[in-house]
Amino acid sequence: MDFHLTEDQQALVSALQSILQDHGELPQGERLSYAYHHSGLQALLKASGFFDAAREMGALEAALIVIEAARLPVLVETGASALVAPMLLPANEGVDGPVALIAGRDLDKAHRNLPIATTALIDLGDDVVVLPVAAGAIETVKSVLAFPYGRFRRAPDLGAGRRIAGAGPKLRQWWRVAIAAEAAGAADSAVNFTVEYVKQRHVFGRAVGSFQSVQHRLVQCHAIARATYYMALRAAWSGESVHADMAACYVQQNVGRLLFDLHQFHGGMGVTTEHLLHFWTYRVRALQAEVGGVNDAARSVATKLWPAPTVAQQGRLVQAR
Amino acid sequence: MEFAWTAEQEEYRKRVRTALDELLPDDWDERYVPESYASDLQVEFSRDFCAGLAERGLLVPHWPKQYGGNGADDWCHFILNEEMKAAGEPRGPQYMNINWIGPTLMTFGSEAQKEQHLKGIASGRVIWCQGFSEPNAGTDLAALRTRAERVGDHYIVNGSKIWTSYARTADWCFMLVRTGPGKKDITVLLTPMNAPGISVTSFPGLIKDGHLNEVFFTDVKIPVVNRVGEEGQGWKIVTHALSFERVGVPRYHTGLQALHLAVEQLREEGRYDNDPVIQTRVGALASKFEAARLLTYLVVDQRVKKSEANTDSNLSRITSLEATTDLMNFLGDVFPNGLAGGNVLLEDYYRINIPAGITGGTNEIQLDLIAQRGLGLPRSK
Ligand SMILES: Cc1cc2nc3c(=O)[nH]c(=O)nc-3n(C[C@H](O)[C@H](O)[C@H](O)COP(=O)(O)OP(=O)(O)OC[C@H]3O[C@@H](n4cnc5c(N)ncnc54)[C@H](O)[C@@H]3O)c2cc1C
Repeated sequence: MDFHLTEDQQALVSALQSILQDHGELPQGERLSYAYHHSGLQALLKASGFFDAAREMGALEAALIVIEAARLPVLVETGASALVAPMLLPANEGVDGPVALIAGRDLDKAHRNLPIATTALIDLGDDVVVLPVAAGAIETVKSVLAFPYGRFRRAPDLGAGRRIAGAGPKLRQWWRVAIAAEAAGAADSAVNFTVEYVKQRHVFGRAVGSFQSVQHRLVQCHAIARATYYMALRAAWSGESVHADMAACYVQQNVGRLLFDLHQFHGGMGVTTEHLLHFWTYRVRALQAEVGGVNDAARSVATKLWPAPTVAQQGRLVQAR
Repeated sequence: MEFAWTAEQEEYRKRVRTALDELLPDDWDERYVPESYASDLQVEFSRDFCAGLAERGLLVPHWPKQYGGNGADDWCHFILNEEMKAAGEPRGPQYMNINWIGPTLMTFGSEAQKEQHLKGIASGRVIWCQGFSEPNAGTDLAALRTRAERVGDHYIVNGSKIWTSYARTADWCFMLVRTGPGKKDITVLLTPMNAPGISVTSFPGLIKDGHLNEVFFTDVKIPVVNRVGEEGQGWKIVTHALSFERVGVPRYHTGLQALHLAVEQLREEGRYDNDPVIQTRVGALASKFEAARLLTYLVVDQRVKKSEANTDSNLSRITSLEATTDLMNFLGDVFPNGLAGGNVLLEDYYRINIPAGITGGTNEIQLDLIAQRGLGLPRSK
C-alpha cells in the first residue's frame, strides 16, 4: 500500500496543473453560464499528450488527469476521452474526442457532452457501439447541469458505428471510475470554495464558518470528497469492477448531501450563477444518475460481494430452513 | 500509488490467522464473543491468549527489539490489529498496553518503570485500565478533580473515575490526577489496582455487563516512583499517548464482517436473493465501509512514512462511524428480533458499537478538530 503519488505521477499532475492554471481561465463573458466547455484547453491537453496517459502510463494516471481537470470551473472533457475510451478500445484504436458516454436505452434523451462530442460510446447492455457524431446531428438542450447537454435530432444509425461485442460491462466499469474521478475533483473544489466563502462572510459579527453546525456539515462534505478521491484512484489502479461500483456508489449516495450543504452555506449567493459554485456542484449532480445511479451501483456491489448461491447451494439452504 | 499488499504482508496476515486458529478455543464464537470484550470472561482469557501471542512473537512485534519486539513496521502492526478485531479482539484490554501504554512508557517512563511494565506487557499477562474520565470530566478532560497530594515519598489520592473499562479485573491503572489548582496541573500515576482504598463498582448499561465501572479512591497511597515524568507533565504525556491511537479501531473490518453475517442470515430466511431493495442497501453500506477502509489505510501509510499527524485520522474515524451507524440502523430495519434473541454475533456487534461515537474522542470533537485544524475554519465561540 502506498497512498502517495510516485515521482512520475507527481510530475504528471504538476505539469497538468500548471497548464490548467495558465489556460483554464473562465472568460468574463461566461461567468453567468451554466456550463462552459473550454475547447482551447481541450485541444491543448490533447496536443500535450495528456489523453495518451492511460495507455502510456496507466489508468490511475488517467484518473488523476480527470480529477485535476474537474477541479476547474471550466469544463474539459477528460473522463470519457482520457480514461474510458482508452481503457475500452483496443490499443491500436484511437478515438476522436471529446467523447460522449450514452446509455443505449435512453438514446432519444439528452446526453451529457453530446453537443461537443465527435464520438459517442453507446452502451447497449452487452455490446458497445463506437459512433462518430456528425456535425449538425445534435440539438442542444438547455440545462442547469454544468455540462453541455444535447440530443440526436434524428435516431442515430447504430449500424454506421463499430460494434464491440461484449464490451458493455467494461464500458460501465470505466464509466463508473470516471464518474468517481470527476466527482472527486469537482467536490473537492466545491468544498474548498465554500470553506473560503464561510471564512469571509460575517453574520452577527462573526464568520459563518465559526458556527459549529456549519463546520460539522462542511467537514462531512470534505470527508466525502477525500474518500471519493482514493476510491476512484483505487478503482483505476486495480481495474476490478467491484471497486469501480463501490467508488460510484459511494459518491452517488452522497451527492444529495454535498449539494444541499454546499449551497446552503452560501445563502442567497448559492442560488446565483455568478458565484461559480454551481460549476462544480451541478457537475456532480449531473453524474448522480449515470450508469443506473446509486441503486444499480449498490446492487452491483452486493452481487459481486455476495453472489447468488448456485443451485446446489440453494438446495442446502432450503434444507437448512 | 499502490493499493495491494506485499507478499510479506500477506504472509504476515496468514501467520496471524494461524495463531488465532491455534489459540482461540472452539467455542470462542458461541461462548466468549457474546459475553463481549470487557467481560471478566474475556479479560481473563486474554491473559492466556496474549501469552500465546507473545510466544509466537505476535504480541508486540512493532516494539523495538530491546523491549521484546522485533521492529515490525506499522503495516504489520495494523494487519495484526485488523485480524484481532475481526476475531472479536481476543486481546481484550491488552490492545491498549501494546498500542499506547507501553510506547508511552518507553518515552516518558523511568528505567525502573520500563523494566517492570514493559516486561509485564510483553508477557501478555498483565491487565491495564485507563483512568482518565470522571463524572465531570469527559470531553473536557482538563476539568478532572481526582487529587493527588504529595506526602513524603508518596501521593495520597482521593476522588473517583468513571467509565473505566476493565477496572474490575485490571492489575494497573494508567491514571490522570490533579496535582495543583491550574487547569494543566495534571500528572500521570501508575496505580496498582490492589492498593488499599480503591473500590470498583460496576453498573448496568446498553453494552454488555462489565463495561461500565466507577472507581473510587479514598486516601490511596501511591509511591512517588510510580509517577510518569514530572508533576504537571500529564497533559503532554496523554497527548503523546493518544497520538498512538491515531489510526483508531479498524471498524470497517468488523463492519463488513457483520454485514456478511446479516446477508447470510437474510439469505437463510429467504429474504435476500429476491429483494433488490435489501441488496441495494447492502451494496451502499459495503461501499461506505470501503471508503472508511481507504481513509484508514491512508493514515497508516502516513504513519509508516513518519509524516506529521494531520486530520486524516479524524476523517477516517468519522467516516467509519457513519458506516457503522448506518449498518446498525440497517440491522434494526431488517431484523425485528435482532436485539431480542436474534443472531448473537450481530447483537454483540450492535451493542458494542452503541458508544462508537463517544469512546476515544467523541464524534463532535473529531468534527471540530477537522474543521479547525484541517479546513482552517475559525474556532466556534
Ligand atoms: C463504553 C465506554 C467506555 C469508556 N472507557 C473509558 C475508559 O476506559 N477510560 C476512560 O478514561 N474513559 C472511558 N470512557 C469515557 C469516554 O472517554 C467519555 O465518555 C468521553 O470522553 C465523553 O465524555 P462524557 O461522557 O463526559 O460526555 P460529555 O463530555 O458530557 O459530552 C456529551 C456530549 O456533548 C458533546 N460535546 C462536548 N463538548 C462539545 C463541544 N465543545 N462541542 C460540541 N459538542 C460537545 C460530546 O461530543 C457529547 O456528544 C468510556 C466511555 C464509554 C461510553
